[in-house]
Amino acid sequence: MTINKYPGKKLRFLLFSLLAVLSLSSCQKQPNLLFGNSYTNDNNSANIVVVDTSTVLMATTFVDSTSTNGTGYLMVGSYHDDYLGKVTSRAFWQVAPPSSLPTISTVNDQYDSIGLILFFKKSNPWYGDTMSVQSYTVNQVDTLYQLGTFQHGWFSNYSLRTNPTPLGSTTPIYIWPNRPYTSQSINDTVKIKLDDNLGRQLYNMVYNLSDTVKNPTIWLNWFHGLCLSSSNTGNAVYGFKDSAIMRVYYKEFGVVGTNKFIDFGITNKSYQFNNVRSDYTGTALTNLQKPTQVLQAPPATPAALTGHASYVQSITGLNVKLTFPYLNAIAQRPDYIGLLRAQLIVRPVPASFNTTWRLPPSLGIYTTDQNNEIGVPVPASGVSGAQTGALSLDYFNPQTTVYTYDVTAFIRQQITNTSVNASQTGLLLSVPSPANVSDFRRLVIADQSYPLNQRITLNVYYTSLYPHQ
Amino acid sequence: MTPSKRFTLLYLLTATSLGAIAQGNFSPYSQMGLGDIEDGFYNRTTGLSNTGIAYRSYRFLINNNPASFSELTNQYFTMETGVRGSFVDYKGTPVDVASTQSADITFRRLAMGIKATKHWGTSIGLVPFSTQNYEFNVPYNLQGSGTEVANHYYSGHGSVNKAYWANAYEFFHHVSIGVEAGYIFGQLNQKDIIQSGSGASLVSTTNDVNMQNLYMTYGLQAYGNLGKKWQWGIGGTFSNKADLLATYNKGVIGSDSSNLQTPQGTERYLSLPNSYGVGVSLTHNQKFTWVADYRYQDWNAVRGKNVYPGQDYAIASSERGSLGFEISRKKTFYNSKVELSYFQSGVYYGNSYLQINGQQIKDMGVTAGFGINSLKTPLAYAITFQYGVKGTTKNNLIRQNYANVTFLINYGSIWYTKGKKFE
Repeated sequence: MTINKYPGKKLRFLLFSLLAVLSLSSCQKQPNLLFGNSYTNDNNSANIVVVDTSTVLMATTFVDSTSTNGTGYLMVGSYHDDYLGKVTSRAFWQVAPPSSLPTISTVNDQYDSIGLILFFKKSNPWYGDTMSVQSYTVNQVDTLYQLGTFQHGWFSNYSLRTNPTPLGSTTPIYIWPNRPYTSQSINDTVKIKLDDNLGRQLYNMVYNLSDTVKNPTIWLNWFHGLCLSSSNTGNAVYGFKDSAIMRVYYKEFGVVGTNKFIDFGITNKSYQFNNVRSDYTGTALTNLQKPTQVLQAPPATPAALTGHASYVQSITGLNVKLTFPYLNAIAQRPDYIGLLRAQLIVRPVPASFNTTWRLPPSLGIYTTDQNNEIGVPVPASGVSGAQTGALSLDYFNPQTTVYTYDVTAFIRQQITNTSVNASQTGLLLSVPSPANVSDFRRLVIADQSYPLNQRITLNVYYTSLYPHQ
Repeated sequence: MTPSKRFTLLYLLTATSLGAIAQGNFSPYSQMGLGDIEDGFYNRTTGLSNTGIAYRSYRFLINNNPASFSELTNQYFTMETGVRGSFVDYKGTPVDVASTQSADITFRRLAMGIKATKHWGTSIGLVPFSTQNYEFNVPYNLQGSGTEVANHYYSGHGSVNKAYWANAYEFFHHVSIGVEAGYIFGQLNQKDIIQSGSGASLVSTTNDVNMQNLYMTYGLQAYGNLGKKWQWGIGGTFSNKADLLATYNKGVIGSDSSNLQTPQGTERYLSLPNSYGVGVSLTHNQKFTWVADYRYQDWNAVRGKNVYPGQDYAIASSERGSLGFEISRKKTFYNSKVELSYFQSGVYYGNSYLQINGQQIKDMGVTAGFGINSLKTPLAYAITFQYGVKGTTKNNLIRQNYANVTFLINYGSIWYTKGKKFE
């Protein structure tokens, strides 16, 4: 046999083998086989367990005032809510003469009238039964429109003394907010005729170019402001734009007569505020705990004391605090190895809402502690920004209406929180800004005495591995 | 080629081969036990339905029986590699009719051998011992929720390979004994991923099973002439049962890729069974060869130690019988016959080591092969075809109709001995 030496061929052979392996080994397609489970599953792999029975304690927190100044809306009206009782709102604001005063002639010009013009635009807030009628009344503020010594802003529980004699009022009228249109038949505008004595006085001041109408300080010392309120006959609150005008009408005679006017618009809009009052008589909220001292943390009233429900209406100071006293028990389960996610489902009491008594479209969720103060927004896991509940609303199947929150980040901290204040650390449901001071839509949440599919639920999804290794 | 180059290339080839072996068609039964235990040799006997316990070859590496390597031509160095293309059609209730077929091409074998002395042949090689390759989904309700559905996505990929060193020594020109020291090693990567409805991973349990140990195989062949035109051969193999060290590294990974359970190696011994094989061969006029084999693995005896996760299946002793027929075309050069080409055919029938839902998984089929030995180069090529049926559609099982094409390359030359010859 011939003795050969083939170093080059050996190398080529090995290279060929290598290339063949690299190029051919991975080209494949695969079928879909629904085969297995029992053959491999030894129940020893990690699993996901859902706990939806974790205790959620609810309490209604109450702050005695909210900062209702400068909201952009004159919230006026009153209504009776079966859950929250009688709610009334009045608006206070200051007016100022125009910066440029017209020249009025004693020969050609003649005073006509004075009125207040209010605008209700389609996007303005409103709440209640719009099929009810109510009249609107204007009173002049009868005291200096200024903050007191310890007053740091205008709040919902403030009011200013007014002259008991109204400057003017409307007859009972309808306002249909969705069109919007009023029964005064001047589209989205509500007009209130004011006292002509005031009108003539202002007209003459302008004619005389009085210092009162030329100097804002003198003006505000003389004319403190206006208050708009409603009769008690209505069942709704409307938010008029803060572009309301007090207008003095006069006529200029000539070959052709001309109607003219002088506008006194809202000035110092940050001083405009709404005085909101609630009367809980006849409701479960009569048991609501209220602050007894000036500087006191908002008290929290357990749901059991308020009809097994808690209430959110941030503009009237009502928010809901949630605590999870037995959360640690989940982490102490023998199969618990980690939290996957946590979801909070807030279910309104089915009978508590309808197209009249609407729900807040956005409901914020915040941290809170033993002081019951509102904390920082709780973001969804892996997502920045505040959550607003993603309301799923169904009037025909109210039991399916829910707000849903990803509270994974909070629960992850809380589930192993063993500090002294852990049981008081929780979440606060509140209407987010700016609706928290301009929107009366409210929420009634059932506590855990209700059936599972009607109450607030915390779903904790945890990773289970049993037994531990 | 310098030794360093050869070593580098060999290393690359080996490393790549191990990865390549891990790829392949889905094999639903591989989720059980050690996976699909390989019963092919990817050598000259592939066309004979891997029948070759009594087969001997002067050129090809017949790793069916370690005693065969003494037949190599003196001072002959040879290398072989095999690549297999496979097409599988799956039948049965568990098969989604939308996708019933699969195809792949995988590397199967690398081996080298040399006739070191006049009576001593030796070979090293790397072959698959078992493979695991499955994926399936199982929808289920989250525990504690009556409405929320998630999905268990199970998968298992990997292979257990055997690196061997086999030696054969011939006595009295009619008897050869062989010993193969096999080192079983490999990793099976199993996953159980719980997915949300969108397919996102919620939690993943990984279980990497590392296996290793020695597995010895002993071989014997006896052969001789019957008159002037007939040659006979008989052979036997025996693999001694051995513990197989399995290290389980189970870890749990959360949806944010955090380690909820750090993998910790838990060791356990499985067991490889006693294996027996017998075979006969009969050759007429150096042209026609008939071979027959029977192999038996006594899994029943080691069932107690082979405890695997899951249920509804059991380990059972396996067996395989096969027959082969070969026609070899040779040409005479200077008083010696040189093979130019050959044709092979074979049939096989066997019971695998898995008994599922009361059914022992059967595997049967036919093979045909054709090989050419180049006279101008040191290479030999062979292509073999195999059609087989594995499993059944009974009892909610899967039947796999498969067709394989295996391409084998053999390189051989006289080892460079600087003029020293032992013949």
